[in-house]
Parts: sequence; structure tokens; C-alpha cells
Amino acid sequence: MAQPLVKKDDDRDDEVDYSPFLGIEKGAVLQEARVFNDPQLDTRRCSQVITKLLYLLNQGETLTKVEATEVFFAVTKLFQSKDIGLRRMVYLMIKELSPSADEVIIVTSSLMKDMNSRTDMYRANAIRVLCRITDGTLLTQIERYLKQAIVDKSPVVASAALVSGIHLLQTNPEIVKRWSNEVQEAVQSRAALVQFHALALLHQIRQNDRLAVNKLVTSLTKGSIRSPLAQCLLIRYTSQVIRESGVNPQTGDRPFYDYLEGCLRHKAEMVIYEAAKAITELSNVTARELTPAITVLQLFLSSSKPVLRFAAVRTLNKVAMTHPMAVTNCNIDMESLISDQNRSIATLAITTLLKTGNESSVDRLMKQITNFMSDIADEFKIVVVEAIRSLCLKFPLKYRSLMNFLSNILREEGGFEYKKAIVDSIVILIRDIPDAKESGLLHLCEFIEDCEFTYLSTQILHFLGNEGPKTSDPSKYIRYIYNRVILENATVRASAVSTLAKFGALVDPLKPRIFVLLRRCLFDNDDEVRDRATLYLNTLGDGSVTETDKAVKEFLFGSLDIPLTNLETSLKNYLRDPAEEPFDLYSVPKEVKSQSFAEKKAPSKKPTGLSAQPAAPTSAPDAYERLLSSIPEFASFGKLFKSSAPVELTEAETEYAVNVVKHIFDRHVVFQYNCTNTIPEQCLENVTVIVDASEAEEFAEVGTKPLKSLPYDTPAQTFVAFEKPEGVPAVGKFSNVLRFTVKEVDPSTGEAEDDGVEDEYQLEDFEVVAADYILKLGVSNFKNAWENMDPASERVDEYGLGPRESLAEAVNAVIILLGMHPCEGTEVVPSNSRSHTCLLSGVYIGNVKVLVRLSFGIDGTKEVAMKLAVRSEDESVSEAIHEIVASG
Amino acid sequence: MLLAVLIANSEGNILVERFNGVPAEERLHWRSFLVKLGADNLRGVKNEELLVANHKSVYIVYTVLGDVSIFVVGKDEYDELAYPPMGAWPISRNGSVAETIFVITSALKDVCGKPPTERLFLDKYGKICLCLDEIVWKGLLENTDKDRIKRLIRLKPPTEF
Repeated sequence: MAQPLVKKDDDRDDEVDYSPFLGIEKGAVLQEARVFNDPQLDTRRCSQVITKLLYLLNQGETLTKVEATEVFFAVTKLFQSKDIGLRRMVYLMIKELSPSADEVIIVTSSLMKDMNSRTDMYRANAIRVLCRITDGTLLTQIERYLKQAIVDKSPVVASAALVSGIHLLQTNPEIVKRWSNEVQEAVQSRAALVQFHALALLHQIRQNDRLAVNKLVTSLTKGSIRSPLAQCLLIRYTSQVIRESGVNPQTGDRPFYDYLEGCLRHKAEMVIYEAAKAITELSNVTARELTPAITVLQLFLSSSKPVLRFAAVRTLNKVAMTHPMAVTNCNIDMESLISDQNRSIATLAITTLLKTGNESSVDRLMKQITNFMSDIADEFKIVVVEAIRSLCLKFPLKYRSLMNFLSNILREEGGFEYKKAIVDSIVILIRDIPDAKESGLLHLCEFIEDCEFTYLSTQILHFLGNEGPKTSDPSKYIRYIYNRVILENATVRASAVSTLAKFGALVDPLKPRIFVLLRRCLFDNDDEVRDRATLYLNTLGDGSVTETDKAVKEFLFGSLDIPLTNLETSLKNYLRDPAEEPFDLYSVPKEVKSQSFAEKKAPSKKPTGLSAQPAAPTSAPDAYERLLSSIPEFASFGKLFKSSAPVELTEAETEYAVNVVKHIFDRHVVFQYNCTNTIPEQCLENVTVIVDASEAEEFAEVGTKPLKSLPYDTPAQTFVAFEKPEGVPAVGKFSNVLRFTVKEVDPSTGEAEDDGVEDEYQLEDFEVVAADYILKLGVSNFKNAWENMDPASERVDEYGLGPRESLAEAVNAVIILLGMHPCEGTEVVPSNSRSHTCLLSGVYIGNVKVLVRLSFGIDGTKEVAMKLAVRSEDESVSEAIHEIVASG
Repeated sequence: MLLAVLIANSEGNILVERFNGVPAEERLHWRSFLVKLGADNLRGVKNEELLVANHKSVYIVYTVLGDVSIFVVGKDEYDELAYPPMGAWPISRNGSVAETIFVITSALKDVCGKPPTERLFLDKYGKICLCLDEIVWKGLLENTDKDRIKRLIRLKPPTEF
């Protein structure tokens, strides 16, 4: 009994020590490959040598041209052998060597012979090898055989030919397209795999022909497809057709929906899932259409197969983003998935539940999540934290348990991104839910006591400085802040000093104590910390220079008013060619270029359809300013106040594409028409836009700048300038006609003929509106900015906005009307809320800062009422804003 | 598109690498990236437990089988179900990249009779190359059934369609 055991051990030792390819060398293997030429082939040895060659090639070894040719010729000799195993190796070897065009000819005849062999497997493999190594000319020679093979009665052969067709379509589309009749026949094959491959190829052949795809889908959905794989493909093609055709406007029916719904009752799970997924992804899907799909997905949730559970919960998660109510039926099944062994499934289940859950289930859900959080990775935790944040905004009354949850997980181990997500969430909750402020701030204070991330510490300190002094007992935060000065690195210490100063400025009783602490900072070993302490001591009134109270607050809390990215670009430009005069902060453009905060946070809210206009280049205002100042006629207009986003004046895909940018100056407006000629056979000359301003009474045309020549596909501009009363937000409607001389162009030479014909092209009208006179300009802290603005300038009035689709729609309409910058994410209206406050800021023409506070309310009949409060640096501007709203 | 199938031994030496549509100059980069990925994450992982990673727009599913580690790299239609696209995390067997690696592991076990040692893997090298040839054809997953593959590599017609 002992003997075999020992022997086995010996065996294992052997295995570890010895590799069959030990010390393998290319040269030696190439020598060995000469056995291929032996008159008496030793098939076993030949197979071994091929294996060695494959091993070398798979290791990344390359053969030189000469070596490869030699091996290739030798391998072709092996076609003499009748050994099946060796033949299979030979096929593989030829594919691996991928011989060059002049060598292919050597094997073609052998492969052609195999292609006509009686053995199905020879035929199939020979087709694959030939198609792999073939080029266009050879392909035409063998095309006849391939067409035959597609309809071969052996499924292996048919599949081989069809799959080869799919690959060849990339390189020789015109040849493969000729096979469509045979492929169509193969779609009707009884063999499932053949049907699948044939359908895939047929669709690829026709994919650019919408009508043909439509016909294909129409005929096949009537039910001749048996293979589940092919059925899945057909579902995908069908949803593509549905996407392109849209809903029938008369009956409200969606074409092919019945087919998709029918597939939900198919016996193969993959077909059921594919159909359910297709239904959930229909555009503007209705609740009635969704229901059957949700029902089958719900069944999958309790499947024993993890794949199905995963697929179902992932799809439902996506549906929950747009139709949370449709998914609520699955909540019970979903809750049981929280304990699923597969953590991906569990995370998806939780985040779905967080989206669909109602107020009463929050506490129960939180308990389950707490157990779950300890054993998932950071990336998943971030997803959960974000879901909890939106849940809390949805149910503000539940802030206590949600805030506790966030503070608990903040104390646990975690990486930077995770901690940042939690801190961001707490900050947002503090901002949006006033009751949560004090407890939230204390949680943050506790966190910075033991925070390893400098970035987060400084962010929290900054936030604490703005919010802490306004709480009922500001003194309790001082300990946490001063601890930072003692314990942390220089960056955090410097932030802590600034935060202390903010408390000193706002809370008079604390001032003397703050001075004591700041004076201690004067002995810090870091320059920045000492400098800040000195600066603040002086500004707050401890030193010789005493500022007024208002100036101090402006200095400490005021924002820079300039987007940092703009400042950065301007500084870089300044450094590139330094001028004599010092850098002027006021020369930095104030227009906000990047996406606003809320848009980034809620990308799903914005339709990103094909109709979305291409964004203007990021440096548009700079570029416009340079462009306009380079035109002598407009140089005297002064400083450019604002340039609008381009307004399209033509439909997409017309002969000439024209859009207009409105440039606003103090006493002038300039319309910049961006024209593109999309006809290769034409060149336009003397292009101008004739503007009819009869519906814009306050405007008088002062000049135009025609465009000399507009060749094909080279965008260029023509300008028209108008004068208007200074500082007045004049509005009006402009109708436009493009006038030009058209000349024929010979596309081959690109030369235009001498004679041209005058022609006109009607463009759409556009308007100059009040929003064109307001610059979008964000403020970092709206409340401070509002309080610092003179209350005497405030104008308040109430407006009825009439019946509206939703509160969000009304809010959006007013934002667009005013063209101002929404602050602090207030343009996002939580769903189902009955009232909302939106904060806007901007600069009115004449460089007057304006702040707007909008309070909306909606009643049961969807009537929206709005209270509008405006503060600005100039009372007349406050009134002007009211006029805009009243007339809008 | 399945960009690459790579099989390495436990020390990170390449045993098999098959690229599709990856330029020669990028292959070295991929090789070292995958080997490092394996060295960082595969220690202590059970046989056939799938890990997922993504690098730029491509998805990687990888696992251990006996002494060898297997990596499959896919993109475009070969990423759809390989959720989640973040970090290394065991996922259920689903999606195309994961499906491919599952076919490869089952074919390997079938050829070798058990999770292979490196020696056993090299002994069966020729057969393994043939299996890979049947499973991935020019970057597309083709045959998925191990019995079918077993017949195909012996040039026997499959039993069902």
C-alpha cells in the first residue's frame, strides 16, 4: 500500500522539475521541422513539432520572413498525411503563420481539395483557413464554393462559411454582399446555430439600409426563428427599428411592441431577458408597456442562477432611475437580495431599493445596509452613499437616521474617494435641511479630529468657518478648530487660522478669545500660517490698521466673483507675454463656461439625444472678443459685454448651415452669422445677411461686414451691426435672408467657374431677449452675498405663472427667461415637492450685480405662483428684472 | 471584440498569448499590465473565482485554474455584462468576457482532466491551442460547449446544432 503512494510523490516531483519545453530554442525547433519533409511521415512527431512551434509563437517569439516561408512550405507537405489529428494541427499552424499573398497559392489547391472533400469537418475547416489567409483576388476564385457552402446541408460547413462571411465583410464587403440570397436561405435553416450566424451576417450586410432592416424585422418577427440566440439578435434589431420609427401618432401604439411582449413568454431565459431589457429601454416607455417586462424580471430576481439575478437587478436598477414607481412591486424580492452572496447583486439591490423605497421603509432599510457596508469595497460604498444622499433629500424628515448612518460610516476605515463622498453628502444635507445643520457640523468636527486627508480637512474647515458662526453656540466649535493648529500639517493649520478669523469677525463675544489664539499662531514655524495670523489680527482690529466691519466681512467671506478656470487662463496668457502694466483682475472674463454643479451631479436629467447642440468651444468668449476687436468697423464699440450661445437659423442637413451669435455691447449689438456651405460643387461669394429689423424698433443698422468667399465645408462668418439706446435692454425680432453669388466648382480640380448667379436663401427669425443683457455669474455663498447687498435695493412682487406641467418646468422657464446663473444647485427641483426656492445670480448690462430669490408654490390644479425678490447694486436694475418677468 | 487571451504560470511567465487587433507595439504593454494585475490580485483566489477590472474602455476578466492564471480582455460588445467596471471584484458568471473565460476554463479542465499543474498544461499544449482556436475565432467567441469543442478538435462533427 505504501509503495504506490511513494511513487505518486515521485511523479509529482517530476512534474514540478521538468517542463516538456525546457530549454526550447527557435533554431533547434526549426531544424526539427525538417521531419515534415520526410517521405515516411511520423505523424506523432510532426504533431509534437507543431506544438513546439505553436508554443514559441504563443510566447511572443517571431519568425523572420525566410523562416516563416520555410516552415510554411514544410507544413504544406503534411497535407499528404491522412492522420486526422495532424490535419487539425496543420489547419491551426497555417492560420498562425498567416502566409503572405505569394505563398498562399501553394496551399490553395490543397485547401480547395479539402473544401470539396466528403468529410464535413475537412470542408468546414478548410473554409475557415482559406478565409483567414485569403485576399480579394483569391476570394473571387473561391466565391462559388463559399456560396455553395452557405447552403450546405451540413451545419458545420454552413456555419463555417457564414462566420467567415462575417469576418470577410470587413475586408471585402462588395463580394460578401453578393451572397445575400444564399444567406437569406440559410436564415431558414433548421440548425439553430446556422440560423443565428446567418441572421447576424444578413443584418450586417443590410445594416446601412434602414428600409431593408425594417423589412427583415417585419418578416422575421412573424415567427420563423427557432434558435434562441437568433431570437435575441432579432430582438436587438427590432428595438433598433422601434427607436428609428417612433410611436404611431394616431393610435399611440408602438410598432413591434406586441412582438417584444410575445417574446416575454418564450421558453428560453435569454430570450425573455433580452425582450424585457429591450422593453425597459424603449424611449418614453409608458407604465402600461413596462408592466409585463417588470413582472418577468421580478421572477428572475428569485432565480437560482446568479447570472439571471444579476441581469434582472441591474436592469431594474436602470428602470428605477426613470420610473421608480414601476419597480416598487419588486421591493420585497429585492430586499432578500441584500444578503445575496454575490456582492454586485447586493449593491445593485440596495441602490435600487434606495431609489424606490418610501418613507416608512427607510429605517428598516438602513439597518440592513449597516450590516452590509462592512464587507463591500469602497467603490460600492460610494454608490450607496450617493443613493442615501438623494434619499435624504427626498425625505427630509428622515435626516436623523440617515445623518447618523453617514457619521457612523465616516468613522470607519476607508479611502479618500469614499470619505469625500460622505463628507460631500453631509455638506449637502446641512445646506438643504436646516434642522440637520448643528448635528451635521458636529459630525464633521469629530471627523477632522482624526482625518488623514489634508484636502478634506481644509474643505471642512472652510465650510465650518462659513456655517459655524451662525449656529446657536459657536464657541463649541473653537476647540476642534484650534486643535488643528496644534496637531496638523501646515496646510491644515493655515485653513484653521482662516476659520478662526471668520468666527472672530462674526461673533463679537468670542473676539477677545480668538485674538489670544491667533496671537499664538504668530509663532508657528510655517510662513503661510504666520502670515495669515498677522493679516487677520490686523484686519479684525487687534493691530494698528483697523478696517470697517463691512470691509472685514467682505474680505473674509466675499467670493472672488471670477471663475477660477477663467482666472487661471488669463494668468497663463499674461505670463506667456508679460506686459509692462501689472495684471488687472478686472480684465478676467466673468462668464461661467463650465457646466454648473447640478448638471454634473444629475446627468440623467438632461436629455442627451442626438438633437443636442454641439457645445461651443470652451474659450468662446475670449475668441469672440479677439475676433470682434480685430474688425476695424466694430473696434469702436467698446468692451464686449456678452456673447450668446449660437442660435441655429437653418434646419440640420440643409444646403447651407447658418447659426447666429449675438454679441452685446453697451450701445451696440453685433450679429455674427456662422455660415457653412455643405455642397461640394458650389462656392459662394459676397455672402451677406439681409436683416429686417422692422419688429425691433429700437435697433438701427449701422454696418455689415460681408464674407468674400465661402468654399465647401469651410465655416466662415459675416457680421451685421446695430445701434441701440445705451444701457437699455432693448428687445426685438429679426428676420434674415442669406444673399450670395453662387459659382459652380469642378470637384476634381476644386476650381470655381468665372460666372456666378445671384441667389437668396431664407433663414429662420431670431430674437434679442432680455436674457441677452444678463451675464451668468455664480457666487460662492449666496446668503452672504445677499446679506451684503443693500436691502433698500430690494424689490419684491408676486406673480401667477398659470397652470404648468410641473414645478421643475416652471422653475426652468424662469431661469431661461432671466438667463442668470442658478446658485448652490437650487435649479434642481426634488420630484413631488409642492414648493421650491431657487437662487440666481448674474451681472446686468452696465456691470451691475444682481441677485434673485425665487419662491415657487404649486397647488392641486397645477397653478404655479411665484414670489420674486431682487437685490442689486442699482435699484433701477431690480425694477428692470421685475419688468422682464412681468413681460415674459 | 476579444482583444486578448493570455495564460501565464504562477510566476507570471507567459504560456499562451493570443491577440486580436492589438498592434504589435502595444502587446508588450498589455502583457506586463496583465501579469502585474494578476500578481496584485490573484494571490489566495480560489480556482475559477472570477475577478474583473477595467483599463480605459476595455474589460478584463481573470482567474486562476490550478497553476495557471487566465486573462481575457474584451471591448465593445464584449464588455456589456462584465459589470461592475471598477476595481477587482468577484462576479457571477455572466456577460461575454466572463462567458469566454468560463468556456476556456472548462475546456482546460476537460483537456487536462483536472485543474492543471504547469507541467500538465505544457504536456497538453497542442490540444489546448486547438481548443483556443475553436473557442475564439478572430476575436469573436464562437464555440462554448466543452463537449462540442472536444469533438471539433478531433475533427469530429458536433452532435447537435
